[in-house]
Amino acid sequence: MARLIGGLGTSHVPSIGVALDKGLDQTPEWKPFFDGYRPAQAWIAEQKPDVAVVVFNDHYNALFLDRVPTFAVGCAEEYLPADEGWGPRPIPPFRGAADFAWHLVDTLVERWFDPEVIQEIKVDHGLQVPMELFWGRPREAWPVRIVPIFVNVLQYPVPLPSRLYHLGKTLRAAIESYDSDESFVVVGTGGLSHQLQGARAGFLNPDADRRFLEDIATRPEELAGWTREQYVETFGAEGAELIMWLVMRGALSPEVLVRHRHYVVPASMTGAGMVLLEEPDRH
Amino acid sequence: MSELTLATIPDTPLLDRPHQLRGYRLNKMAMGLSDPANRAAFKADEEAYLDRFGLTEEERSAVLRRDWREMIRLGANLFFVLKISAVDPVRITEIGAHQVGMGHEDFLRERLGKRV
Repeated sequence: MARLIGGLGTSHVPSIGVALDKGLDQTPEWKPFFDGYRPAQAWIAEQKPDVAVVVFNDHYNALFLDRVPTFAVGCAEEYLPADEGWGPRPIPPFRGAADFAWHLVDTLVERWFDPEVIQEIKVDHGLQVPMELFWGRPREAWPVRIVPIFVNVLQYPVPLPSRLYHLGKTLRAAIESYDSDESFVVVGTGGLSHQLQGARAGFLNPDADRRFLEDIATRPEELAGWTREQYVETFGAEGAELIMWLVMRGALSPEVLVRHRHYVVPASMTGAGMVLLEEPDRH
Repeated sequence: MSELTLATIPDTPLLDRPHQLRGYRLNKMAMGLSDPANRAAFKADEEAYLDRFGLTEEERSAVLRRDWREMIRLGANLFFVLKISAVDPVRITEIGAHQVGMGHEDFLRERLGKRV
């Protein structure tokens, strides 16, 4: 059966992609941020996972408000980068793990999650940025295949944090019941604290961000028990998307090894952080 | 102590039912700017482009004036507003500062802790 080897959490701020496109990653403003990803890049290069399940949200680049799936699973063979207002970014298309994606959809439905099933869609910075942060920008093809899980974290009602945690547990069941010798990682994206709208725009909460980066490893059940209101109040209106990390954490074992964590504030208007969690007893 | 609800978190507009309904036309107009042909049309003649979407006069005016705070008040969501600002282009921190009612440098310093 397939193996889950670890989980990664990261911010997915669009300006990170812009910084990479403009070659700004070694400038004084950006270097501290990008340097924080090197240990995770080394881990990825060493572990070479076959499939990455990436939990993220579309920011109205591929989906509009005419229909808003709470959960959607990409079952395509290929995903092109979306045009977010200045043309698609110059990165290779992502290769989909369609066979596993359909198995995931089966598993979800059998366990009372009923996602939208997507066959053709473009992916925005929410997925592009985490992939590039952990895998680097490939010249021709990405060295990993992906399964995108789209979560509505923008139009209310958004799903409960506990529901996302449970989705992660179901994702694990799908991986462990998948007849394959492939290795998997789960990537939770978004956050950390930021607010882009209203008179509270520019809100940041570095203390809460740092606590979250610790608690996601050791006290995930507590974080899953928070209300959506608590997430919005603590991390800001847009920072509340951090609940998507709970899918990643829910997929992992109760006890995990913290391989690396990193935090910089701000990247653009956002508390920017990452964590690399490894499954125990793998050696 | 009163119960914390999504609608009562201060100064924090969320894309809830009232915002969704109120902002639908504005957001649909901005969604169109994902298409390069529509961006070209918008740049060539903003008013003619806006006329396609049945906007109210205050919605039209807010877009033409680039009144970010007013667009948000009228139900536009920030991720749609960014499609308008990408055409100009205007930085997201300027949009943030405008909503707060601060100068840009003050906003960078006081809200984001940047040295400017």
